[in-house]
Amino acid sequence: MSVAAFKICMLGDFGVGKTSLVARFVRSTFAPKYLTTVGVKVDSKELLSPQGTPLKFVVWDIAGRSALDALGANYLRGAAALLLVADGTREHSLSVALNLLMQSRSVLPDAAVVLAVNKLDLVERWEVAPTTLAELRRTLPVFETSALSGDGVENAFAEIAARLQP
Amino acid sequence: MTTSGLGNGADAQPADANPPAEPVLLPLLPPAPAEEEFDRLRALLFGDELRAAAAARARLAEVERLQRALPDRLLGALEATAASPRVAHALARPVAYALGAAVRENRQVVVDTLFPVIGPLIRKSIAEALRNLMADLNGAIESSFTLRGLKWRLEAWRGGVPYAQIVLKHRLAYRIDHVFLIARESGLVLRHESAPDLPALDADAIGGMLTAIGDFVGDSVGQAGGSALDSAQVGEYLVWVVQGPRVNLACFIRGVPPGGLRDLLQQRLEEIHAQLDDVRLEQAPHDAALAATWHETLQPLALVQAAGIDEGRAARQRGPSRWPLLLLLLLALAALTAFFAQRERWDERIDALRARLQAQPGFVLTGLDAEPWRKVTVRGLVDPDAESLRGILDRADLGEAKVEVAGTGYLSTDDAVVVRRVRRLLALPAGVDSSVHEGVLELKGKAPEAWIAEARQRAAWIAGVRRVAMTVVPDADPASTARAELATLADTLKALQVPFSNDATLAADGGPVVDDVVAAAKRAQTLADAAHARISFTSVGSNDEVGTDDANQRVRSERARWLADALAARGIGGGDHPIALGEDAPNNRRAAYLRLDVEASP
Repeated sequence: MSVAAFKICMLGDFGVGKTSLVARFVRSTFAPKYLTTVGVKVDSKELLSPQGTPLKFVVWDIAGRSALDALGANYLRGAAALLLVADGTREHSLSVALNLLMQSRSVLPDAAVVLAVNKLDLVERWEVAPTTLAELRRTLPVFETSALSGDGVENAFAEIAARLQP
Repeated sequence: MTTSGLGNGADAQPADANPPAEPVLLPLLPPAPAEEEFDRLRALLFGDELRAAAAARARLAEVERLQRALPDRLLGALEATAASPRVAHALARPVAYALGAAVRENRQVVVDTLFPVIGPLIRKSIAEALRNLMADLNGAIESSFTLRGLKWRLEAWRGGVPYAQIVLKHRLAYRIDHVFLIARESGLVLRHESAPDLPALDADAIGGMLTAIGDFVGDSVGQAGGSALDSAQVGEYLVWVVQGPRVNLACFIRGVPPGGLRDLLQQRLEEIHAQLDDVRLEQAPHDAALAATWHETLQPLALVQAAGIDEGRAARQRGPSRWPLLLLLLLALAALTAFFAQRERWDERIDALRARLQAQPGFVLTGLDAEPWRKVTVRGLVDPDAESLRGILDRADLGEAKVEVAGTGYLSTDDAVVVRRVRRLLALPAGVDSSVHEGVLELKGKAPEAWIAEARQRAAWIAGVRRVAMTVVPDADPASTARAELATLADTLKALQVPFSNDATLAADGGPVVDDVVAAAKRAQTLADAAHARISFTSVGSNDEVGTDDANQRVRSERARWLADALAARGIGGGDHPIALGEDAPNNRRAAYLRLDVEASP
């Protein structure tokens, strides 16, 4: 019996740390140069869901962008979940992430969504206010992550796994 | 009474909006206008029907409103349920019928609509066919012009299998390393098969990247209408992506695959789509039956083998088409053989003609130009007295070829030609035979004396005659011959002395002499006419000198008489040839003889 595979797309503004989060989560097959050439880099990782079911995530690390163009929309097709990534030190990146989420809904109306606010290791420089995050948590699962230390990364993906389980 | 109220027409009340169901008696009222009365009357008589009609109008208005809103509602419902398999299933049949009707009735519109789709499809198909053709040609050319290639071709010919299969068998021209069955939309790998002994790889990542790259290429350089990445070549690796509506098939190939492999992959993909009809894509990897089927049909070695079998089947299907080629080759070979045989026969005829012309007396062959079956030109020196070349040329069996003779005159010293020249110049009479041997002219026979005399003068001057040997005798005429014989007979008769023993008594040995005299005389009588001469006989008696002259004369007369009588008795001397009597002087012979005198007729 093969493991159920899910396509997970990473979306976020430039420099928010999407690739670093993926690198922390998976063992990369392809070099990061694909991000600047093709605009996407795909990796996969097998994991156990919180219920103990083996899963496979095929993670599409889509190059950072502030708006979703046609190519980006193509990359989203068939995705089971979105991992929105924002940079805690740049409040604007949070707006971009939410904007991308709104745009992706036309392609992925039913995809599971998790927001990762990255660069927890620089929390002292964060522009995103805790109240904002609290407000967001009322509609989205929000995780504070650090690709540098790995904090919150596994939890974010675990949340996705949990939401993908029937 | 209701009747009276109605009668004056002035007691009607205004029509009630909700008239009672039962008729009521109306009080007498002042007269009302006629129109109001009619309305009241209508309300009284048709109140129920009017209400029913009003309700019907209201329902109709509602239905019309719903109808007007139906397209918008229908569109909304379709948009809301577009992804529903039930909706797709429900719409499949009417859409198919509608499409069929549109093709029949509005073909041009359909063509115009599909044009942007058909064009790229056709171009793609042609490009694919050309690419396959070039691949096959490259593979064939690479090995066609080598000894090994010829050996493989012979093996393919004998085995009835395609040359490509033999090449594959010997060289393993390509191998399939990986096969990915990828969901077209999500890029998730539904099935991955690899050749044995290859290291494991992240199939999902590769499938995803292939899909992403396909999307990237399609969006970057492709055109609208679903253009996508079909193949990519990196070093020795070739990546083929066969596109399907729901899933794609990607193949990682090393070497140069046969053109039929892509057809096989397309066929496999169509089969997979048929298997996916009732299965959700995300469930497909967990379907054990599908997994087993895909494992069997997508294994690299199985694909290579199937491609080879397909090539073989295609070759067998093409098999009969080889026979026309073989037949053409045989026909060409037969034609060549016939041509060379005909050419051989032609050359033989020309050689034979050349030999005969070279042997022809009075002709010196200087050139013979032959254009096969078209024209023959004979050049040479020709003696006017030589035999014509026409006979030789006619016997040469040159068919319809045109024959020309370009001759220059000369005098031949060939014996055969010299003979012909002698006959022409000397006008040989029939009784003269001529021959020439090494320049010596020999003439023999009989000829008139005048010809003999002239020929004796001219023969030595004839070209080619070195010496003349003439043994021609004068040719006498019958009269002369007869006359000559008569002269001979005259001598013979004179010599035939008929002996007497005594006086006029025939000697004992005189009988045979008389017989000879009779024969000679008869011959003379016969020849007289032929000699154109008059002949006369005289019987002459003679005696010895004993006795007197008178006695001797008497004896001579008696003996002459006796012979004349004896000859007359045997038919000599009658008619035109009477026998006269004569005497000789004594000559000491007791005999008599018959003298023949010949005189030419005037």
